[in-house]
Amino acid sequence: MTLQVTNLVGGYSQIPVLKEVTFDVQNGELVGLIGLNGAGKSTTINHIIGLLTPFKGEIKINGITLNQDKNGYKKQIAYIPETPILYQELTLKEHLEMTMMAYSLDRDEAWKKANHLLSIFRLDNKLDWFPANFSKGMKQKVMIVCAFITEAPLFIIDEPFLGLDPLAVHDLLDLIDEQKQRGASVLMSTHVLDTAEKYCDRFVLLHDGTVKTEGTLPELRKALPDAGESLDDIYMSMTRADQHE
Amino acid sequence: MNNLYRKRLASHLKEMFKYLRLVFNDHFVFALLIFIGGLGLAYSNGLKELQPNLWWAKPVIVVVLLLVLQMGRFATLFQDADVVFLLPREADIRQYLKGARLYSEGLAFIYELFGMFVLLPFIQVTDGMPVVDLAMIAVAQLLLKDSLFSLAIVSRFQVKTSWLKQSFWFKWLAPLIILLVSVYGMPLIGLLLALILAVGLRVADRRFNAVPFDWWHAIGLENNRMLGVYRFFNLFTNVPMLKGVAKRRRYLDWLLNSVKATPKNTYLYLYSHGIVRSGEFSGLYLRLTILGMILLYFVRGTWLPIALAALFLYLIGFQLIPFYWQFDDIVFTHLYPIAESQRVNSFRRLMFALTGLTAILFLVMVIIANPSWQMGLITLVIELAEVVLMVQYYLPLRLKRKK
Repeated sequence: MTLQVTNLVGGYSQIPVLKEVTFDVQNGELVGLIGLNGAGKSTTINHIIGLLTPFKGEIKINGITLNQDKNGYKKQIAYIPETPILYQELTLKEHLEMTMMAYSLDRDEAWKKANHLLSIFRLDNKLDWFPANFSKGMKQKVMIVCAFITEAPLFIIDEPFLGLDPLAVHDLLDLIDEQKQRGASVLMSTHVLDTAEKYCDRFVLLHDGTVKTEGTLPELRKALPDAGESLDDIYMSMTRADQHE
Repeated sequence: MNNLYRKRLASHLKEMFKYLRLVFNDHFVFALLIFIGGLGLAYSNGLKELQPNLWWAKPVIVVVLLLVLQMGRFATLFQDADVVFLLPREADIRQYLKGARLYSEGLAFIYELFGMFVLLPFIQVTDGMPVVDLAMIAVAQLLLKDSLFSLAIVSRFQVKTSWLKQSFWFKWLAPLIILLVSVYGMPLIGLLLALILAVGLRVADRRFNAVPFDWWHAIGLENNRMLGVYRFFNLFTNVPMLKGVAKRRRYLDWLLNSVKATPKNTYLYLYSHGIVRSGEFSGLYLRLTILGMILLYFVRGTWLPIALAALFLYLIGFQLIPFYWQFDDIVFTHLYPIAESQRVNSFRRLMFALTGLTAILFLVMVIIANPSWQMGLITLVIELAEVVLMVQYYLPLRLKRKK
């Protein structure tokens, strides 16, 4: 079991945003983290990558918590943020070098992978560019390349589909699939429900800082029999029911 | 609309005072005070050597007045979003500009008066013109400034008369003629001309009442002005609004390549690239080092050069420390699986290299100014002790306190 979140209570200030959130991501599994704006998706992710400290509860990656082994914990995560963030002073090539250094990757092997990924995303002729010259989509691709050369056991991907061109979306989904075959786990938050429905193995539906339901699509259908067929229907009926309460 | 300007001015002034407080808190100000004091002393010494009726005195007065005239810009405090949100209120824009003019012109008059105040001793020594003439020139100068503000307002409307908007005629040529007339014996005529110009431009401005406002141009001008203000403050302290552009600086690649690509050097790699490529901290470092070197070249004595070298070395080290947090708003800086202690070590190496280089340059300047091996040796020992103390003991202390 790669990622295990247990009874997580947390948030940015004293007031908890997340209330007793519990879910897990198994090896070789792609789990979709679904929820409205402000449901707590980003807060959950920030707790997992270690930017926020839980008030209560615990997060384990392959059995290690952040407090037990800081570097061992961090080494297992590859993170792709929703808004691409790059160092203004580093070129594309230098971002890759930084990642290789930070994650102690074998340089020859990592460069082989990097060159392959760069050519997929048509960035291979832009190695000496600064982030200021990249469009938003290109920056996002740089984030993807940096994350996928690490071969980490856990990928955290925050809303990857907005801003990428359709070709890149498919390439990304292929890459995620490749990593799953290797045994890596992926937690992906998204609003694009029809894509999520097609590709995710399981779903965690967050609402108001709590896990409303989780499971595979058939499991969700069984839990909410009147809601409808698609993930979109199920999700809409769930949020509506909540508003009527 | 008048209220809006007042509100913006209040928050603008608050921001400016925040920066002024930072400037006057920082150690750089010591250096600056020494510098200004030195300039004042040089000015008063220079005046003693001058005789009346120098041929170049009047031209210098005219040129200085002309340059002082350009100080004090039109602070409209427009923001990018105004083109969307204020567009429906364009009919009231005149009222907004009135408030802006009142503030900007008031401030500009203070600059003008201060400039003339500084120039006064020079005029007294070299020219000795009567007080009435001086007063008339002063009033003419203020009227010229007023006409420049009328022009600034006209140029922010979509006025098609291009000669009116061309800055050369009204900003430089007309004032030059008027100042020449005033300084070369006909101050009354100069005053009259300035009055005609000021009134004329105010009337012209009235006539363009119905012309649409040029939002993009006005906002662009204001952004430029603020950029200048931030650049100025950036000389002394960090201005978050000012995100400099990274420059490649290929000629320094050999320096960057000297960092070996091993995991424990990750942050050294980041810091060294950051300092070489962005102008923010490297500019600060270079400015202070060069200023210190110039100062040390001119200072003779036994203990004064050593004390100055030590002081400047401390200032530079002190100013470099915040660079440690430079990349903190980038999430990956926290995600890299590398211990904080490694990061501190990396930063220590960077600081050691930078302050060490400055120490060597200062040592060379001290020896050039005071050629004796004893001086050199004392400077070397003191600087070495200072660098080690700062990097090994003071830096970790500061980093801990911030947390």
